Amino acid sequence: MQVVNFSKRNELINKNLSLSYCYQCSTCAGGCPVALKTAGKYNPRKIIELSLLGLEQSLIESQDINIWLCSTCQKCVEYCPQRVLLTEIFNTIKNHCALAGLAPEAYYLQGKSIFDSGLAIPFSSAILRRREQLGLPLIKTPNIEEIQSLLKKTDFDKKIISKTQKE
Amino acid sequence: MSNKYFLGCVIPARFPFIEASARKMFDRLGIQISDIDGASCCPDPTGLEALDHDAWLVLGTRNISLYEQDGSNIISMCNGCTETLKWVQYELNNNESKKREINEILKKNGKEYKGTAQIKHFAQVLYDHLDLIKEKVVKPMEGIRVAVHYGCHYMRPSSIIQWDDPFEPHTLDEIVNALGAESVDYDLKVECCGNPVGKADEKLSNAMLKDKLESISQTNAHCVMVVCPACYQQYDFGQNAINKEYGTNFNYPVFYLTELIALAMGFDFKELGLRFHRMKVKPFLNQAGLISQE
Repeated sequence: MQVVNFSKRNELINKNLSLSYCYQCSTCAGGCPVALKTAGKYNPRKIIELSLLGLEQSLIESQDINIWLCSTCQKCVEYCPQRVLLTEIFNTIKNHCALAGLAPEAYYLQGKSIFDSGLAIPFSSAILRRREQLGLPLIKTPNIEEIQSLLKKTDFDKKIISKTQKE
Repeated sequence: MSNKYFLGCVIPARFPFIEASARKMFDRLGIQISDIDGASCCPDPTGLEALDHDAWLVLGTRNISLYEQDGSNIISMCNGCTETLKWVQYELNNNESKKREINEILKKNGKEYKGTAQIKHFAQVLYDHLDLIKEKVVKPMEGIRVAVHYGCHYMRPSSIIQWDDPFEPHTLDEIVNALGAESVDYDLKVECCGNPVGKADEKLSNAMLKDKLESISQTNAHCVMVVCPACYQQYDFGQNAINKEYGTNFNYPVFYLTELIALAMGFDFKELGLRFHRMKVKPFLNQAGLISQE
């Protein structure tokens, strides 16, 4: 059985003060398109509840509610009568999941692409030809050394890129 | 202040025909928007930010600083890029210590964030020139009914985006109507297309799109119109997947706003690269008399 984890609770509240405003009214869940589509299996209110209790295992290790299903439509943020910034809180939790190597693979692949090329989608030779056919200019892409040096300053290589080189 | 494009990744590297229509359309309007060198991914507010907030923040700030250094405004071609850039700006302008921290990192590469750049979605520029658009229409789209899909990050979160209304947006409908077309209302108009969910659960992502398409099919719309490449991909690639999965028969041509305007301005099928759409647009455009019969 999990018990309330005050240090995780405090960590999340310190990062996102609005978390402590939540009074669990469930307005967020009522307006959530993903909650509707999954018949409540995904439920933003419950993620906030787990956060308030600091239940790290449910939030991160076993991901009892799959936080990656959030569509980031931002409706909950608009609706919340207490101005809880749900999607920002969810991003903090997702960052913790990613650090633990527990984000869906597609996210790591995008992170790797951005680290390698500065772009989520690098230019393929087929696309470069198509651009030429359409009379479009050549795009000057960013200096990769600069991008990587900036990302390394945030430890992105150690925290995230290392997870893509396992196996 | 000059205007410069922020093209993002998806449009130039996956859907360059959207970029072609935008450049042609803005040129025809006489609105000068030029290019900037060396921008990176915005980065993706539904992707990289979920992996690592600081990495997202530092690259987003670097992008904004390119424009500040150049003394130009940012004209973004994508909802997601607009959201990231505005959010980064909001965060740094409201958090002095974070701003110092990020600037300390940028300094070594000769960059600095000040907070002076104006960030606009391209549709905001168009909305500010409705009369000019009407003047340039040579093929009025009379009788054409358009299902406008705004895309969440066009207007939410409203505290960050500060443009249009989070639940009752109207700007895109007005632009479509200025072309002589009719923007139709449907129940799920301001709902998500489902695209960001696809990275974790493709089936669920498709189910969300199916709901949107069913809502659109309750109207008599001829086509769908979007202003975000992620939404574009969801509608243009997703319909076939849904038809296969559910035995439905969705077949809506999907247009970027820039393409609709370029068509109304008289640009033709070939120069706009419309053959690169997944859902074929030619039969509809021929029937509507918007392109020359081939």
